[in-house]
Amino acid sequence: MERKYLYLDYLTCIGCETCETVCAFIHDGNPNIRIYVTENKQYVPINCKHCDDAPCLRVCPTHAIYRDEDGAVRIHEEKCIGCLACLQVCPYGVPFYSLKVKAITKCDMCADRREEGLEPACALMCPAEAIQYGPLEIVLELVKERRAKNIPEHQRELSDEELERSVISGYSVL
Amino acid sequence: MRGMKFSFLCRSKPEKTGKRVAIIGAGPAGLTAAGYLVCKGHDVDIYDKMPEPGGLMLFVIPEFRIPVERVRLGAKELEEEFEVTYYPKTKVMEGERQDEGDEFYERVVRLSELKEKYDAVLIATGIWNVRRIGIPGDDLEGIISPLELLFWIKGHELGYVPKEKVPDLKGKKVGIIGAGLTAVDVAFECNRLGAEVEIFYRRTIREAPAGAYEINILRNRGVKWFELVTPKRVIGENGRVKAIELLRTRLGEPDETGRRRPIPIPGSEFQVELDYLVFAIGMVSTPPVNGSYLATDRRGRIVVDSRHMTSVEGIFAAGDVVNGPTKVGRAIKDGLYTAVSIDKWLRGEL
Repeated sequence: MERKYLYLDYLTCIGCETCETVCAFIHDGNPNIRIYVTENKQYVPINCKHCDDAPCLRVCPTHAIYRDEDGAVRIHEEKCIGCLACLQVCPYGVPFYSLKVKAITKCDMCADRREEGLEPACALMCPAEAIQYGPLEIVLELVKERRAKNIPEHQRELSDEELERSVISGYSVL
Repeated sequence: MRGMKFSFLCRSKPEKTGKRVAIIGAGPAGLTAAGYLVCKGHDVDIYDKMPEPGGLMLFVIPEFRIPVERVRLGAKELEEEFEVTYYPKTKVMEGERQDEGDEFYERVVRLSELKEKYDAVLIATGIWNVRRIGIPGDDLEGIISPLELLFWIKGHELGYVPKEKVPDLKGKKVGIIGAGLTAVDVAFECNRLGAEVEIFYRRTIREAPAGAYEINILRNRGVKWFELVTPKRVIGENGRVKAIELLRTRLGEPDETGRRRPIPIPGSEFQVELDYLVFAIGMVSTPPVNGSYLATDRRGRIVVDSRHMTSVEGIFAAGDVVNGPTKVGRAIKDGLYTAVSIDKWLRGEL
């Protein structure tokens, strides 16, 4: 299967909380994606980036973290020992330990929905089109197309390579 | 570009239940509820007074925040894939009341009529009136409602409003009272159309609901920001706005919202000359009733129980018409959970 990406564009997000709402709706009230608000009211959606070179996947001592056929970084709940090593290395502080599941939980790119042929709910519902899902070339194209509609203050002069790096991984391995 | 997928919970239409639901208002709450209900096999008809579904997302919020196509394609998908029927330019009302955007409707349907014709009704009519300030001179020509100004501008770009209706703002001085998201959106649009914009706010940038980030973008574009001022009266000449008289304020103790209360300083009056004035100080719920048909609170919001049902059995309500002005995501949330309630109620589980 082709690697899929789930990209959150901070420059386009309007902080409306639709992603958080639909994510909570399909996860019994516990959203994986969250909108953080800075002191001066900038809205930052935070979610797992399913990084190409995922530090959590590398650091997990029990190999409880794996990548599925669509490229989503997922958890084998029965293998997780709750050591939180993944949380320590995640550039976004995404994984959290669920006392109910007794394992790390995080975004699985809507694994259950993907099995039924549905795409991640947050990307489908974001009114601002700040969340894009799909193969790399399509995501890059959609992000560029959407950013062109942004106000100049929210546009960035990025080379294709820089944009690609921002989509494929949260941090850069140089 | 891809449209919003309001029916995000299913791939295709399930078997029909034979139940029919009328939704009043094709904004985020109404469309999201429709998406859930069609996934449960119900037939949905949506009534809206505007010429096209989308609500504030389409007609008021600027294009750079929510692209028109994103909403349009989403509404179209419901129609084409899930047989949702739209009744645009149709205002639903029990009793009478003037709201903003009323110039767009051509038909009126009574709420009680819909209640008879459908198995359930959902009200998601939002906030289509603006709060009045109540100071001398606030009815002069040249004072424009923020909602009206935004849907004239966007409605013109969408082809629904003639050019003459949109004031020519080029080089004109536009004053905006308030610092919420509506005030900021009006400032962005007026600035884009070449107006000299000044924003007046009674607290400081730190308390502004729109946030310092957005306001500073506007300031960098040349919009003037006046804080710690409150309007006292509007000065007119031949029935038209000429200037606004403001009072300086200082911040006192925190009020019930947790923000420090602005206290006007007596004798600190000064005037600023203006061509247009916009009071963006809040929006008011516009339920499709005026009178005692169903219960509303003293701020005009519909009262609902834990099932999201109004005081009339079988009529539900969701979104800003219940909660007052919030965010798109909150309206979507309310629409979604209300739709769950409607589905359960129709199945006799609630």
